[in-house]
Amino acid sequence: MADISKLGMVFPSYSIQVQKNKIAEFAAAVGQKDNIDDIREIYRDEEAAKNNGYEQIPIPPTFAISFVFWTGGGLSAILETLGVDICKLLHSEEEYDYLGDICAGDVITRNMKVADMYERGRKGRAGWSFFVTVLETEVTNQRGEMVLKARTTFIER
Amino acid sequence: MPVQYDDIQVGDLMPAYTSLPITRTHLVRYACASGDFNPIHYDETFAHGIGLNSVIAHGMFIMGIAGEAITAWIGRKQIRKIRVKFLEMTQPVDLHNYENTKDRATITITGKVVSKYEEHGEKRIRCDIVARDKSGSRKLSGFFIAALP
Repeated sequence: MADISKLGMVFPSYSIQVQKNKIAEFAAAVGQKDNIDDIREIYRDEEAAKNNGYEQIPIPPTFAISFVFWTGGGLSAILETLGVDICKLLHSEEEYDYLGDICAGDVITRNMKVADMYERGRKGRAGWSFFVTVLETEVTNQRGEMVLKARTTFIER
Repeated sequence: MPVQYDDIQVGDLMPAYTSLPITRTHLVRYACASGDFNPIHYDETFAHGIGLNSVIAHGMFIMGIAGEAITAWIGRKQIRKIRVKFLEMTQPVDLHNYENTKDRATITITGKVVSKYEEHGEKRIRCDIVARDKSGSRKLSGFFIAALP
């Protein structure tokens, strides 16, 4: 069970450069394409990205999850820090606020904190309970602009 | 031609988007792309060990499919917010039993515009979305907000 003393904890900041190849790989994964040439044009073609108002190839809407998984030791480091049992882990909610563009070549920094932790359940004979953890992540770019906020809720069943 | 604010009415439906039947290969590709290597998504022995019949799709993979559905309709640059709750788990298709398992692994995203309003100097819509498999099980529900020209 997650360690409730971690409520309010701020994780170290981590930075990562957004890679064109990772964008294409992600777009292929969520688009279920075997061939990179078949993904949506804005995710593989700089001209198409520019025609859509971007300076460079943009990230797909849910790509930002990778900023958390590809830095700072990823999922296992987060779970270990919080004392969460991976065998009981379920992702229950995800939310993104898009405040600015994130494109290939940008160097983003993610700042994540434990925004909430609580137990939900019903006492008694047919009782059930699970433990809820909410992580909030702010993503800034190399110019210091906040470009994305994420809110991730997971439970231990 | 991008979708125009004036052409959208509350109650309008987002064009439905249907995934291919999700295979274990799709889950491996998504794991590598996202960096989410929770073994519940690709290691059958782990899944069995925690009492599941098979590996299950990442909730974020289903949300990623929803992202594809949204941006097939509204330009990527117009999206301001997406929020979802994950509901039922999704088992991938079993290749040795394809006909009987493909429906549980085929996800359709639907959506409906629920409001139009101005905010931060932009004309915005809020559209509720749902993901269901072919047998009707709900995988996620939520909404997105987009700013339209």
